[in-house]
Amino acid sequence: MTLVDVPVRAAADPVVEAGPWAPGELRLVDAALRCIARWGVAKTTLDDIAREAGCSRATVYRLVPGGKDGLLDLVTRVEVERFFAGLADRLAAAPDLESLLAAGLAESARRIRDHSGLQYLLAHEPEAVVPHLAFSQLNAVLRRARTFAEPWLARWLPAPHAGRAAEWVTRLVLSYSACPAEGMDVADEESARRLVRTYVLPGLQPFLRTEQPIAST
Amino acid sequence: MPADVRERILEATFTCVARYGLAKTTVEDAAREARISRATVYRHFPGGREQLIAEVVAWEANRFFTRLADAVADAPSFALLLEDALLFAHRAIEQHEVLQKMLQTEPERMTTQLTVESERLLGLVQSFLEPYLVRASLRPGVASGDAASYVARMVLSHISSPGSWDLTDREQVRDLVRTEILAGILCDE
Repeated sequence: MTLVDVPVRAAADPVVEAGPWAPGELRLVDAALRCIARWGVAKTTLDDIAREAGCSRATVYRLVPGGKDGLLDLVTRVEVERFFAGLADRLAAAPDLESLLAAGLAESARRIRDHSGLQYLLAHEPEAVVPHLAFSQLNAVLRRARTFAEPWLARWLPAPHAGRAAEWVTRLVLSYSACPAEGMDVADEESARRLVRTYVLPGLQPFLRTEQPIAST
Repeated sequence: MPADVRERILEATFTCVARYGLAKTTVEDAAREARISRATVYRHFPGGREQLIAEVVAWEANRFFTRLADAVADAPSFALLLEDALLFAHRAIEQHEVLQKMLQTEPERMTTQLTVESERLLGLVQSFLEPYLVRASLRPGVASGDAASYVARMVLSHISSPGSWDLTDREQVRDLVRTEILAGILCDE
């Protein structure tokens, strides 16, 4: 299927907002990500993205309204969605709470570390990313992480502790990714497990539903 | 040249930033405010405007953490010290007029400058906390340096963004300190 074959959908269609996205949209998103990994956001033009995707400017406008801003907004939404989908795959395999928390920590850190667009921006254009990771903007990220992780944690923890644990792990992902601690790679599952076992599980202990498996011995 | 000229320049720059913002403050403004020549500013800050802006953010961040350290130094226990620190720092950030104004008007520049400083600030908080942990009785397998790094990260993260915790409420702050911050570190009693 080529981009031109992708049917145009009405912007008001709620399905568009909820995803999953059409192949044409995803092709533009991936083209934009390659451009960002090469030159960053500021220097990437809509023409660059069209060329990278092998289509015309007109096709870009038809598929994603709102020009460059509209496309960047779509890139963010798709990447956030992909991040959580990948994370969910990994969490589904966790047999106990310790494994769930360690997998969440390690997988999130790994996805941040291996995201070439994000890493380019952090190195060369931090102003495009860091405002979202501090102060009130970070509260929004914590809320998003809580919404995602609360159902996973509910098996072990009642409210509000499930939500708090989700925020807690998110803080650890961001802090240890931004400023790595000596001798520890939080993207490595064994390091993540040590962190969880040492600092996190003891703090959750009083609130746990004890009939569920907590840790492998 | 008196030794405090550097300090005077930074103080003047801070006043200018409060007035004009980070993007619009110039070497000229700082020199006029400090009542010295532009040449003197350049002698102390050869990198000019960019260096001045970077250093004034670092300077105010240092002053912030010095005030924080002074405010909590007399706490009777490590847990209470952390409670006081979270309550004080949360309030101080909310009430920091210049920071709040910059976050409103120039969030990109402000957070980027602070991010440059974050590793150093983390080290600063960690070295402040470590002596308390060296003296405390730690759970088996917990090393004081590693724990100080963990506690510093949690404190910095929460004072920047409290998430679902209400850091104006001492009861909640106590819960936060006893569970997420210290449960894995200190022995009971």
